[in-house]
Amino acid sequence: MTSASPPASEHLPATLTKVEQAKADLCGLDLLPRLPQLARNGWEALDEATLTIRLKWLGIFFRPVTPGRFMLRLRLPNGVITAEQLELLGEAIDRCGEHGSADITTRQNLQLRGLLFEDMPPLLDAMERLGLTSRQSGHDNPRNITGNPLAGIDPEEIVDTRPLVQAIQDRLFCADGPRNLPRKFNVAVGGAPDSFLLHNDLAFLPAHHDGRLGFTVMVGGFFSAQRNELAIPLGLWLEADQLPDFALAVLRHFEQCGNRKLRNKSRLMYLIDEFGLEAYRAAVLEVYGEQAGAPAEARIQPHDGRHLVDRAPRDGLGWNPQAQEGLGWLGLHVPMGRLDGESMLALAGLARRYGSGELRLTEAQNALLPDVPLARRQALEAEPLLQRFRPDPGALQAEAVSCTGSAYCSFALIPTKGTAQALVEELERRVDLPESVRTHWTGCPNACGQPYMGQIGLMGAKARKDGEMVEAVKIFLGGAMGAEPRLAELHHKGVPLSELPDVMEELLVEHFGARRKLAGG
Amino acid sequence: MACTPETSLLPAALPGPESAQRWPWLQRLRRSSDVPLEAWLQAIETGALSLDADLIAALAPRLDAAAALRLLDGWLRGGSRDPAVLQVIGQHRGPALAARLRQALAADGVGRAPWLLPLLGHQRDPADFALLSSWLLGPQPLRCRQAALEGLAVGLSSWPLPALRALLRQLVTGLQPSLAAPALDLLARLPQPRRALAGLAPAALEPSVQRRRQRRLAALPANPLVLVVHGRSGGLIPPELEVLRAELQSLRRSPVLLQALTAAALPVPEPLRQAAEGQPLSLMPLLLLPGSHVCGDVPALAARWRSSGPVIRLPFLGAWPLWQQALRQEVCALVAASEPSAGDDGPLLPLLLHHPLRSSLAGRYLAHLGPFCGATCLPTPYSAPDSDAGRSLLEDPSDRPVVLPLVLASNRLTEALPDWCAEPLLQRPALRACLLDLLLCLP
Repeated sequence: MTSASPPASEHLPATLTKVEQAKADLCGLDLLPRLPQLARNGWEALDEATLTIRLKWLGIFFRPVTPGRFMLRLRLPNGVITAEQLELLGEAIDRCGEHGSADITTRQNLQLRGLLFEDMPPLLDAMERLGLTSRQSGHDNPRNITGNPLAGIDPEEIVDTRPLVQAIQDRLFCADGPRNLPRKFNVAVGGAPDSFLLHNDLAFLPAHHDGRLGFTVMVGGFFSAQRNELAIPLGLWLEADQLPDFALAVLRHFEQCGNRKLRNKSRLMYLIDEFGLEAYRAAVLEVYGEQAGAPAEARIQPHDGRHLVDRAPRDGLGWNPQAQEGLGWLGLHVPMGRLDGESMLALAGLARRYGSGELRLTEAQNALLPDVPLARRQALEAEPLLQRFRPDPGALQAEAVSCTGSAYCSFALIPTKGTAQALVEELERRVDLPESVRTHWTGCPNACGQPYMGQIGLMGAKARKDGEMVEAVKIFLGGAMGAEPRLAELHHKGVPLSELPDVMEELLVEHFGARRKLAGG
Repeated sequence: MACTPETSLLPAALPGPESAQRWPWLQRLRRSSDVPLEAWLQAIETGALSLDADLIAALAPRLDAAAALRLLDGWLRGGSRDPAVLQVIGQHRGPALAARLRQALAADGVGRAPWLLPLLGHQRDPADFALLSSWLLGPQPLRCRQAALEGLAVGLSSWPLPALRALLRQLVTGLQPSLAAPALDLLARLPQPRRALAGLAPAALEPSVQRRRQRRLAALPANPLVLVVHGRSGGLIPPELEVLRAELQSLRRSPVLLQALTAAALPVPEPLRQAAEGQPLSLMPLLLLPGSHVCGDVPALAARWRSSGPVIRLPFLGAWPLWQQALRQEVCALVAASEPSAGDDGPLLPLLLHHPLRSSLAGRYLAHLGPFCGATCLPTPYSAPDSDAGRSLLEDPSDRPVVLPLVLASNRLTEALPDWCAEPLLQRPALRACLLDLLLCLP
């Protein structure tokens, strides 16, 4: 099937939904040559489908909460970015003044906020010159492909994920790649014992077969307001060079057969449910065989799904020795993943002066500075930026992850980032924790902040207090990303934000071994 | 699964704010293809429902300009400061909406202006430029002025360009950094931004705004630049010029080449042409006086460069008013810092030393520069044994005037001068900063 082929008829509604109609009428990628003209005309001249749907194929997001100030979501395969690239993006943000910011996302990616529509054509041109793209980073597309943030420098590395992630992206962006999926799609490649990736629709995890290192295929992970699932073994084992074509086969099958009638039942796991795992596997193998040929299909082996990922992700913060003698990486905590232009330029400067001019972004929304000669450790530690982005944050700060919240998202019920940061600071004043606790904040049930993955998950809600409706959170407990992964479960269905510090303090003492600090101590 | 009948999506069925069902219910409303919109608008207009942010977010995708106007009316009538409804207004344009916004601004005073002014900018009616400008420049609270500037920002391409440029320049050089910085950023987004930013004198800007201006300039595409310098014997480039070149190249993110007049070989044009990608090269003589090099050699060099593609030829450095002003400031600063000294006829004028010139054009230039800087221009030969009366003045340790050699980088003249007055201009921080800024601004 080609990208222009229609989806299977049984999955097409008699009357297309608004989103499907918009996608069928015009692919957003075809807007690119016209973008300078569209920008000159002003975004108000765009029809609604173009403004709110098609532009996302270029990574451009109209934000209802900040009309006129747009978001640009990039693609950073494996979370790798160069100083030069970061400087370009920092400059773009910097000139947006107080409206400008950038968020490190839970997909090792960056999204820039506060841009004018007029900014987009020159910025996209400049990005292309530096090898950056924002293509197909939103809406019904394969999202940024993640990998081991420590790839190539990790003493515990099993396999370097960078070339694999890049090869998958390149394959998906070929002329015959998918342009009209029924829904968004997350792909990831694991390369270390702590590569927890079961929240992805498609994850390739390192695994052995007959003594050979390859990848077992996990499918169907996702979080949503309706359903949350960890990925399950598809029962197949691949060699590394097969990943790009196999990923394309999965996506083509999804494009053809995914549910286009109900968007809240169109993620991959619903398709697997509909087919049954055996039939789904056979169907994907058939697509793979058609595109890669019978010899390639014959190399795919049945597999029991056991893999080499057996630990929760490291935070990677502070100083860590690299696989390369004499070099280390410094992990810097970026509070709630929020950057401004100045800090982006400063981070790029550090990468240039101390490292190899490269940075890595993590799924915990932090930044890593690799390839620093250990002899330069002291000089780097004296840099002013490290007062803001600390290498040694507190036990709650280190792994506090948050969605964007109501400041930029009209679905969110609370301002997550500001609330989370204030709470974390307050709790670290109140208690000492024996080890870091991973908290995931999300503003609404859509669960973009992955609350089910946190040891503590917090989801925006409303609750009644003193007769008034107030901002609140639901609390989830028990998410685990180690050898026996599990999703967090609802613990409290509505704590007003004003009561949250006390409730969380109690919870940290009871469940996580926190000790209260002495008053005034 | 069968879809829920859309008729169930009526206002009366909306769960209350405390209900856990409200969020998924509103998501269903948002996704539904057949919402009874009129019923929702009426419920809001009659007060049966309030303009809650989550409800507005769910309805927003299906509202047109007429519906947005009705909601705006409701919002204005309710005296609300909750900006929820702005999500709706911000997506629509229309004469009626614009007129209602103007009317509200006139009636409300500053009350809700911080919310309304950006929305007026969204309307992109060029006629509103005057209104937004008056809010921006008038004696209004800062948040209103900021909102008016945001109104200009979100409608940027709609406003009359010359008037917009003039307004933004006024703000950039104004006393309010929180307006100057965004105004500068907007100026950098307009057509020909490099020229607009170059026209701002750094000294007129608040330091943080000047740093911002330099960042904007550094990010704008710049042509490869050829700097014509005199050079030393055999085409040798003094080290301070090479350091300047490297710094400039890094700031402009585009190649910078030093071409010495004393060099025997001409540079190969291909690398610069390749970097220019069809755009012109800029050629700027770093020469201080309009002597034979400026009048004869530079045009010849420019012609050679033109044979390989387009060239923008720029005036020699000494002709730039910014440079002349910087020279004057440097002279003033030196005078202020020097010991008072007086000859028989009163205080000695500062001296600008230059190599002897023959052309009448150069003479006229110096006749302008001397009085402009409040200094005497003194022809000074390179070789010490041939020195004239001026040299004896320089060598008299008891009566030292302020002396500035009109020389960018070390040469035979500065090497022949006594240490106390031998510093070439590029070694003087203020002049070097001025030159760097000037070169950074070039096309």
